[in-house]
Amino acid sequence: MVFADTDEVYRVLGSFFESLIDRPQAALIHKVGGVVRFHFHNPEALLAWVPDDPAVTGRDFHVVLGDGQPPALLAFEQDADLANRFWQGRLDLAQALSRQQIRAVGPLSRAMKLLPSLDEVYPLYPDHVRALGRPDLVVPS
Amino acid sequence: MALDAPAPASRGVGVTRMVRARAAVLEDYESPLQVQEVQVAQPGPGEVRVRVAVSGVCHTDEHVIRGDLPLPLPIVLGHEAAGVVDRVGEGVTGLVEGDRVVLSWLPACGRCQACRSGWTGMCRATARAAEKGTLWDGVHRLERDGRALHVMSLTGSLSELCVVPREGLVRIDADLPWREAALLGCSAVTGYGSVAHAARVRAGSSVTVLGVGGVGLHVVQAARLFGADRIFAVDRFPARLGEAERLGATDLVAAGPGAVTEILDRTHGMGTDYAFEVVGSPATIAQAFNVIRPGGTAVVVGVSAPHAEVSVNAFAFPSQGKTLKGTWYGSGDFAQDVAALVTARHAGRIDLGSFVGDACCLADVNDAFDALRAGAPRRPVVVLDASL
Repeated sequence: MVFADTDEVYRVLGSFFESLIDRPQAALIHKVGGVVRFHFHNPEALLAWVPDDPAVTGRDFHVVLGDGQPPALLAFEQDADLANRFWQGRLDLAQALSRQQIRAVGPLSRAMKLLPSLDEVYPLYPDHVRALGRPDLVVPS
Repeated sequence: MALDAPAPASRGVGVTRMVRARAAVLEDYESPLQVQEVQVAQPGPGEVRVRVAVSGVCHTDEHVIRGDLPLPLPIVLGHEAAGVVDRVGEGVTGLVEGDRVVLSWLPACGRCQACRSGWTGMCRATARAAEKGTLWDGVHRLERDGRALHVMSLTGSLSELCVVPREGLVRIDADLPWREAALLGCSAVTGYGSVAHAARVRAGSSVTVLGVGGVGLHVVQAARLFGADRIFAVDRFPARLGEAERLGATDLVAAGPGAVTEILDRTHGMGTDYAFEVVGSPATIAQAFNVIRPGGTAVVVGVSAPHAEVSVNAFAFPSQGKTLKGTWYGSGDFAQDVAALVTARHAGRIDLGSFVGDACCLADVNDAFDALRAGAPRRPVVVLDASL
């Protein structure tokens, strides 16, 4: 386990998700058309992308951590260690799905459209974890 | 006809002399294809530029349009095609301008671990390139207004011109009609190979084919070719079942939850020696597993959504010795399978012509996809160059 506890998952991955709000990918996250929930194990953590009305809030989505999330349109379930690998481009999603390392429930195709654009996002994650004092989370290439 | 006047030098693709062509480009998921004028580069070392004669449209292209397969945009779709060698790159051997060829969407690099292990159908270089919509090593050979275009699985055959690795081409003779030749590029080889290599169907055996669309009908035909005694065709479209019967199916079954029981009843409770799932759904994969006899083999040919999961009885694996396996592109050697199919076709042992559906021109490419979605029993094709 690369994350010590649930709070650390929120501190690292939760804050990274929040950094996406200001990125071009936020519009694609909004286009998924519903709540995207991430259920991590080892440690247990729940994170969600919740779409907003940009005309009202000025942003495409916001991040909800922990319990009390709205019902999810699309839900992912995986080990937190794999999430750490995925967000720095070190996990092949298709392979992980085919081996049930990641399970998805819901209209996956809506999120798959986001995938090609994540090539721009993956390089940001190592800098993010280093800035948080966790350079050990960077997976060697 | 391609407009081959030279276009302005490209900055993005790395090759200065480009020629113009028209191609069907997917700009946004769940949107119609747009026919655009594109610029096509000279083939690089080991590459060949092909003037496409005919391209079939396939459900896998449809998966890309729907966003089920997350290929990058903009992308030129199409991967089932035949054409003429337009120009060869440095170092290319065995092909010259004017040769007639069939395209493979799974060329084997010969260097990766999979290829060196004999699993050329799992070539890692091709898998990586296909995921990125490029040729090997991330190369783009098509662009529009200086913006690189991606291509479907190292082909992108819904284009008057495409550039592919030499390893992805097989030469064919001149007396095979283009529309039949195109189908060798995907549906015919996949269907044939599923029977010949993945299942290794034996003469006198019984077979169930769940889904007798474009690929499933080739499975039916190949099962007959390999001597299967009884072939159950299962589908929800009566027209497709009619085609399956014409190609050799002995028993026709309406698709649905009761299909397995009906086949068991017709086989004295045993089931069939082999079953092929050619739909790509968890329900029919489970049916394929459930319909085979103890010791039988079920082969999954159909492409499911990447997160789909299937539920089958676990105890049946050891207690009934059943095999559940997959096949990708027929699990064979593309060149050998094309040769086998062409030989069988010329000898009258199989039919390819009747698999060809309505043909349209590139401008009407979206009509071809509409026909595919409507369950057309025969393969819609797009004629890219009627002069060939």
